[in-house]
Amino acid sequence: MARVLLKFSERTVEQPIISKIIIDLKVPINLITAHVDSKGGEVLAEVPDESLDAVLKAFRKKGVTVSLPKLIEVDMEKCLSCGSCIALCPVEAITPSGDLSIVFSKEKCLGSTCSACVDACPARAIKSVKQNNSDVSAKSKN
Amino acid sequence: MEEEALNPQRNTRTIGEINEKIRKGDAQVLSAEEMKRLVESSGVEVAFKEVDVVTTGTFGAMCSSGAIINLGHSDPPIKIDNAWINNVPICHPGAAVDLYIGATAMSEKQPFEYGGGHLIEDLVNGEEVDLKAVAYGTDCYPRTQLSTRLTKNELNQFYLLNFRNCYQRYNCAVNSRDETIYTYMGKLLPRMKNGTFSGAGELNPLMNDPDYETIGMGTRIFLGGAQGYVIGEGTQHEAQSQNGTLMVRGDAKKMNTEFLRGAAYTRYGTTLYVGLGIPIPILNQGLVRKTAIRDEEIFTNVVDYGVPRRDRPKLAKVSYKELKSGSVTVGQQKIRVSSLSSLKTARKVASTLKTWIDNGEFFLSAPVERLPLDTVFKPMKQVEATAFVANVMQKAVTCKETEAVSDIAKRIVTKSVNHIVMIDDAGKLAGIVTSWDITRALAEEKTALADIVTRHVFTAKPDEPLETASKRMAQHHISALAVINSEKKVLGIVTAEDVSKLLGR
Repeated sequence: MARVLLKFSERTVEQPIISKIIIDLKVPINLITAHVDSKGGEVLAEVPDESLDAVLKAFRKKGVTVSLPKLIEVDMEKCLSCGSCIALCPVEAITPSGDLSIVFSKEKCLGSTCSACVDACPARAIKSVKQNNSDVSAKSKN
Repeated sequence: MEEEALNPQRNTRTIGEINEKIRKGDAQVLSAEEMKRLVESSGVEVAFKEVDVVTTGTFGAMCSSGAIINLGHSDPPIKIDNAWINNVPICHPGAAVDLYIGATAMSEKQPFEYGGGHLIEDLVNGEEVDLKAVAYGTDCYPRTQLSTRLTKNELNQFYLLNFRNCYQRYNCAVNSRDETIYTYMGKLLPRMKNGTFSGAGELNPLMNDPDYETIGMGTRIFLGGAQGYVIGEGTQHEAQSQNGTLMVRGDAKKMNTEFLRGAAYTRYGTTLYVGLGIPIPILNQGLVRKTAIRDEEIFTNVVDYGVPRRDRPKLAKVSYKELKSGSVTVGQQKIRVSSLSSLKTARKVASTLKTWIDNGEFFLSAPVERLPLDTVFKPMKQVEATAFVANVMQKAVTCKETEAVSDIAKRIVTKSVNHIVMIDDAGKLAGIVTSWDITRALAEEKTALADIVTRHVFTAKPDEPLETASKRMAQHHISALAVINSEKKVLGIVTAEDVSKLLGR
């Protein structure tokens, strides 16, 4: 699965674009977060790797801006293993391991659309970083 | 040894005897967590026979920390008036070239991100730092400006000198407000959506000897990865409420950044994480029982940091066992909590100290004076009165949702106010309407109040300092706050106008 960030304008938000693409392409798209109102907004969605290219094309054709959300990266060298971040994570992507080290689940993490943990880290070990574009397109070719 | 031979049933041992065993490599040392398991499985008597020393540990943010450094004299010499190292302002409390690096002093170039704590870490790490100093110049110290680079090796003394460390236990912090707040207890989400706590609980040094039978001035300890000493009780030390603290000193040149780390708390400032461990000599069976204390027997309060007062409301009592489980319950609400201090590193402190003793590298010392049991942490004497919301709030002009916009417009004029508070039948806050909303209703030809009312209302509590209420208005670009009680019942309104009248007086 690849995560994509869909940006809707005041015009595009009025149309049932996501539903149409799901029906037309018969692709299961999973909506993870959505912040939209009548003026537009952002939706974080998960798309199967094999249909990523087709889905991106379809959204762009309908005037939706598609980008890849930034990922959260943790510098374990800097990490103090305090755990300040754990209870702030809305999707429980951060958990303590058996020896109480901090474990980040990249699969669960919402990335830059959330970032709740970033400014709570006293060691400044958590950063949002640009997702490697080629990674996602390479995966989609498999 | 002779005495032991005469009386094999002895129920005490001395620090001298323990040190003799350490010298011979015979001392039995357990970490506090291991000791608890042993007492549970084998009982107090067996544990007393088998264990000589129990090691404890903690690793957390300790803001009242710092380092004293001596630079040596420059040529020509300078009596430093103001100094900065890596742009962090440094205290100059003594003579010419003695400086104190406070952990919470912040870089003037990167405030909130780099501070005294980071600077101490960099120095301990052997990094070169930039020193700038200015002085007024005297006959004996003629120099007025100085700029140099140095590492810890060039310093005559580099001592960690912390005046309040190792709190015996600490609050669990939550935030009842509608907005996220950033505190020295970390980031607290609105409406108590998370909680933070600090302290190692059953591993905490003072919790394992709560009557300070073996801890006091002169106790040799683990400090920042090296040997250090307790030099007395810390500031704000209060034994009776289990809020004991320590004042400590240690040679920072020998310390290790695994146990000494600078840290930054967003919108609060910088601090220093300190690793501190104390060996508890098992001199009698009483100390066996004390070191057997478990997390479920150590309690602390869940405190509402959303209330910006000295005496913040205590919402619940919870044990460290609950805290370490990851969630606590306050009323009906289950709150996820996480630790600000590191239990992983606290364990490492206790196990490192154990290894030192096992290897005969660390000997115990008896305190020359025990920590006091009777000191009280008093509040500050204040001579100025503080203004609270209750001092300036006015009666709110109210309305109900069913009323027409035109009626509200009339009320704004007759009562000559800018804000009308909407309440429900129980008198609870339901919304707010401003004269601007009425203007907009006119422009958009809306007549129903329900279509124009703002339902998310920013509020204040009557006992809140005026300063924080005023800050909230500025932050959200609004001109009034509804004043409510804990049941959301409307008590009045406080406006920016009222605040400026009082503050401008």
